[in-house]
Amino acid sequence: MTLATGTISDQPKRTSTWPLVLKLARRELAAGWSGFSIFIACIALGVMVITGVGALSDALRAGFERQGRMILGGDATFSRSHARATPTERQWLDGEGRVSETATMRTMARRLDGEDQALIELKSVDTAYPHVGAVNVAGATSYAAALADGVIADPVLMERLGVKVGDQIRIGGKEIKISAALVSEPDGLIDRLTYGPRVFASIETLMSTGLVQPGTLVRWRYALALNDGRGDTKDGLIAFRDDAKRALPEAGFSLADRRDPSPQVTRTLERLRQFLTLLGLTSLLVGGVGVANAVATFMEKRRKVIATFKSLGATSHTIFAVFLGQIMAMAAIGVAIGLVLGLIVPGILMTVYGNVLPIQPEISISFASLATAIAYGFLVALLFSLWPLGRAEQVSASVLFRDEVAPERVLPRWPILAVMGAAALALVGFTVFSSDSKLIALGFCGGLIVVFLVFIGLGDVVTRLARRVRGARPPELALAVANLGAPGGLTRSVVVSLGSGLSLLVTVALADASLVNELSARLPAQSPNYFVLDIPKADYPGLKQVVLNQSPAAVLEEAPMLRGRLINLKGKPVEQIKAPPEAEWVLNGDRGLTYADKVPEGSKVVAGSWWEPGYDGEPVVSFEADLAKLLGLKIGDMVTVNVLGRNVSAKITNLREVKWESLSLNFVMVFSPNTLKGAPHNYLATITLPKDASPADEAQLAKVLGKTYPAVTAIRVKDAIDAFSTVFTKIMTAVRVAGSVTLLAGALVLAGALATAQRRRILEAVILKALGATRRRILTAHVIEYLLLAAVAALFAVGLGTIAAWVTVSQVMDIDFNFSWSAVAAALALATGLVILFGGIGTWGVLRARPVPYLRSE
Amino acid sequence: MASPVIALSELCLTLESRAGPVDILRGVNLEIARGQSVAIVGPSGSGKTSLLMILAGLERPTSGTVHIAGHDFGRLGEDERALVRGQEIGIVFQSFHLVPTMTALENVALPLEFAGRSTAEAVARERLEEVGLSHRLDHFPAQLSGGEQQRVALARALSVDPKLILADEPTGNLDGRTGRGVIEQLFGLQRTRQATLVLVTHDERLAAECERIIRMADGRIVDDQRAKAA
Repeated sequence: MTLATGTISDQPKRTSTWPLVLKLARRELAAGWSGFSIFIACIALGVMVITGVGALSDALRAGFERQGRMILGGDATFSRSHARATPTERQWLDGEGRVSETATMRTMARRLDGEDQALIELKSVDTAYPHVGAVNVAGATSYAAALADGVIADPVLMERLGVKVGDQIRIGGKEIKISAALVSEPDGLIDRLTYGPRVFASIETLMSTGLVQPGTLVRWRYALALNDGRGDTKDGLIAFRDDAKRALPEAGFSLADRRDPSPQVTRTLERLRQFLTLLGLTSLLVGGVGVANAVATFMEKRRKVIATFKSLGATSHTIFAVFLGQIMAMAAIGVAIGLVLGLIVPGILMTVYGNVLPIQPEISISFASLATAIAYGFLVALLFSLWPLGRAEQVSASVLFRDEVAPERVLPRWPILAVMGAAALALVGFTVFSSDSKLIALGFCGGLIVVFLVFIGLGDVVTRLARRVRGARPPELALAVANLGAPGGLTRSVVVSLGSGLSLLVTVALADASLVNELSARLPAQSPNYFVLDIPKADYPGLKQVVLNQSPAAVLEEAPMLRGRLINLKGKPVEQIKAPPEAEWVLNGDRGLTYADKVPEGSKVVAGSWWEPGYDGEPVVSFEADLAKLLGLKIGDMVTVNVLGRNVSAKITNLREVKWESLSLNFVMVFSPNTLKGAPHNYLATITLPKDASPADEAQLAKVLGKTYPAVTAIRVKDAIDAFSTVFTKIMTAVRVAGSVTLLAGALVLAGALATAQRRRILEAVILKALGATRRRILTAHVIEYLLLAAVAALFAVGLGTIAAWVTVSQVMDIDFNFSWSAVAAALALATGLVILFGGIGTWGVLRARPVPYLRSE
Repeated sequence: MASPVIALSELCLTLESRAGPVDILRGVNLEIARGQSVAIVGPSGSGKTSLLMILAGLERPTSGTVHIAGHDFGRLGEDERALVRGQEIGIVFQSFHLVPTMTALENVALPLEFAGRSTAEAVARERLEEVGLSHRLDHFPAQLSGGEQQRVALARALSVDPKLILADEPTGNLDGRTGRGVIEQLFGLQRTRQATLVLVTHDERLAAECERIIRMADGRIVDDQRAKAA
């Protein structure tokens, strides 16, 4: 006998699997997306937050860049404290383009009868102002006419002083008419945080007030509309900056151009974007639990299909690819929905808050923002799908030939575990890579991993404990405990998702409470009541006497005050220094400078030694220790500051530790008196009234000071803190909203877990009804179950959230941690409310279900 | 004659379906005396199980009256009917319907606990001994065979000493020999307690063991006869 022609081989023939995989995946997809709604919602929610944050940030940045000329008031600006441009400097500026000169300062506006006064932000301008945009006024024929006739005042000031357009007020030593009410100004954003209402005056008016004296804290700014269209191109602007550096090497001007009108605002926006993106990622990861549940449930339903495929010759790889393809297709739908919703966010915010936003956002989205959201969406979907998928692909074909038995607990194959590890690493790497503060991003990732591991472990412990607890009474409690331990029950997924979401919320709430406490509750006990600016040196003794006459127990502290800009550290220009984010502020803009014979109150020397009283050697300086460390400065290094258009270099001889929160007069740099004494300057003083001083006493003191010394500016500390708190509250609202989305993701997971278990729960309720249980009993059992779940998740979330908040507040922010029961209670109430709400919806469905179909079909 | 345990009058049940209303029961009149065993037989879709669900108070008729153990179900709300069930009615399902998260002992004790009996666990233990499962008290349903699960369900149905036992194809999911054992226990326990038994079945031989056989077709009782064994 001969064999038929052909080759007999022991190896089964392998065919190309990809076309088959795609075909099978498409067929399976066509069978329906049932059960994937929570999966899609979880991915969409997280992607929406990340896209929304990115899109909003892009829109603000685009608005910022496109409106740069408007915000800046020209193509480029030069600004400097104390010193107006010298004739030589002005000549050079005039040669480069049209120049408008402005001077801004904080001072007081007073009623003529001296009964009331208010801190104002005085902006004095020349006739060339503004190059771009317009100042809009009410109550006068035109802005120019109003400026020639008197000052233009913010209506808020008029309301505060009880005056109206046409009335006179006193600014400095001059009585001036309010000629119009200010409606809007084109370049207000550039003046950053303002403590008082705006008043516009001409430079001539400013000069006539007598406020501008040598040493007065006034900031001069020169906005240029550049000649020959140099300001229209990036290259033109760069070339102009180079020219300026060459022409005015030691002028000490801060130079900005329309491409980035306020590096500080840009940086703040970027930080906020990165931080909110991290919160978005957290909500995506919390939603990942819902993704894992949905995939596990889907694969459970497909067990027999998988077994059938295998019995027909499909390999594990083929099955894995078929189902991974489907799951990634679902992830793509979730990502797409999230992207669309996220892109709508800036539009909605613009519609709702359009008038409040400091700049007009322009719809624009960068590739980086989209790529970030897409990458996070798919990575999270992959990470959380692989475990249930890897377990399900190992279903044996023998499932078809025997009754359902409890599925074996198998681990996914090692290549799948390796891919999971790679996805997790990619997530961490991407997060750290895209963040400026790598250490904080790494800490955030580490914290998240710890939180997830704790809650995964907790879910497991609770489930096991519930299975071991038997004989609980009354029966409602027994039912609740039995449900907590039920296979496929809610416990594991809800503890992980709700616990993680709540941990983040508790962290945010406690950090917020600590900051608020730092800003308000802690201050009155130790902070002064007033900061008084611009006290001429000769006036200080008299001013002190006036204060002591008014309040004999008052304590005054004074220090010489100049403003200057850091130019050079250790021989390196500051523009070339890459400072860590938390120290960048020192290098940007003007800093307050002082000199002293002895170590200032509220600080102590931690390295080196203080100079002898009357020291008259080479210029020396004391630097704040933490900032010196961040900037890589040590004793013996040279620093150069520009004061009044003159570069002054000094050697660091000691480092100080400063308690900033004491609000004592303290400075980053304290020079030896001989270094700065020659520069004209005024004094800055603090006034601390006795503890029993009433607000009326405070007001009376301000009134008397105002009458006696009209040129000095007294800022009430409480008002300054309130102004900061207003900005801070807005930022914290954004953080809380982003944090709450995480809890919403937790609620989605809960809804998904309930939906998965709904059939089992209905059947159980039906059986109980058949055995004589009333709806109240079933409802009670469910409520006990939900409360137990919420309590367990909440207890650990409060613990972990407190630890995370403590680390953030005391180690990263370096302020005192303050535990707030009310903040924790609010977070817990929100979590319990969500569990009861979503659980209640599920229970409502359970109680309403008709028993007969369930009893028949089972 | 003593008042019947079951009294149905002009009972109708109409359910909505996608194709329109479907008449499940059409004017059923029935009285069953205390202690009687009654088999309800008929082809699929004849209304047997729906009738059983109405007797259990798990379904409300569209019209007609239902009196069970002296209670007018038409006047009782869902929870009041649940209380009646807990005290007067024991149900045995084809698919057992044990609570999967509870042990055999806990399953049997549950109706007693709902009824507020302080001796629930001790009574449940006795009932399980009666059905020969004293060695399976702490086992979960998934750890028991089909026959054992049905015997737990039987012990649970009889735990409160109900006046009425309702059984829906109690041997439908069991092999012949196991089913035989369960049925013998069911009849034995019913007789001992002098309870009324209503048994829905397809099995003519099983029906013949009851004192009375009611035949249903198309939602109506078409035959009501005393069985030979009676």
